[in-house]
Amino acid sequence: MAALLLRKVGGILTTQLDYVTEAALPAPAPASLVDLLDRLLGAGIVLSGDVTISLAEVDLITIRLRALIASADRVSLR
Amino acid sequence: MSLRYLYALAREFGDPPMDQLPDTPGIAGAPVRLISHRGIVAAVSDVPESDFAEEPLRAHLEDVRWLAEVARTHDTVVRALDARTVTAPMRLATIFRDDAAVTERLASWHDAARDALDGLTGRHEWGVKAYLQVPEVDVPQAEPPTGVGAGHAYLQRRRTERSRTELARRQAMQQVNDLYASLAAHAVSARTNPPQDPRLSRHAGIMLLNASFLIDTDRNDEFRAAVARASRPGGNISVELTGPWPPYSFAKLEAS
Repeated sequence: MAALLLRKVGGILTTQLDYVTEAALPAPAPASLVDLLDRLLGAGIVLSGDVTISLAEVDLITIRLRALIASADRVSLR
Repeated sequence: MSLRYLYALAREFGDPPMDQLPDTPGIAGAPVRLISHRGIVAAVSDVPESDFAEEPLRAHLEDVRWLAEVARTHDTVVRALDARTVTAPMRLATIFRDDAAVTERLASWHDAARDALDGLTGRHEWGVKAYLQVPEVDVPQAEPPTGVGAGHAYLQRRRTERSRTELARRQAMQQVNDLYASLAAHAVSARTNPPQDPRLSRHAGIMLLNASFLIDTDRNDEFRAAVARASRPGGNISVELTGPWPPYSFAKLEAS
């Protein structure tokens, strides 16, 4: 991926080793549902500890999920 | 009755401050409102209690299609907000009783949220997964002797296959550890998740790395170039990049 390019910067020729242009960078892969669920279920803002509270007492419910369905179809985001 | 689904916290934006996300509906098409408190907004929408109270919610979360729809909507809302202001995404299904409850939490979370948002400003998340492509195992298939020896020969072949795969996996893990360390050098922060269940992700090969990196925007290209260099063709490790993501994996609050 290294490329030796001559660039004219401010009227002065300069070289830049290992300059990889945006166009040359491989496009990221599309995100899958599982990639999203990794983040939505395992990360994001987390209260300390797992808290499941009855609605009558306190306002906040945080649900912690166990393993997902073994027979899930692959459902992509697009 | 409606509950409030919280998608994210964000730095207040707009002049005058925006109180609703334009053009981006939330779950079940409800508008996404921005409840503001001391410069921080909570992005919420009204959701039916019949679906999002604790018991029906638990039942719904077992249904992958329902879960997928909510997850997609949650992500769409977070991305729309992230396009406008620094955003700290919430986990799925963080529910409040009403607007007053949200405001009360904003008040108690204020300092932690402000610090979290400061730490996310000008930064985004990239995902990197690495897989070991299990090579075709070339084990000499001699004609098995018949009778008592045949079972032994079979077991011997299986042991050899397993130990070659195990050796390949151990060598690959070392490469993957090195890869993770080298990518983390370009990052503000890095973390890993457990490898994904292949029954869900349907990936080929053995997933050895499922990592997220928080990258300064002006180091995006540098990071992507480092990932590209790691994906050398012909190697036995394949590397997959996803992103940019809103910073799901790095939005940490110390709960008060």
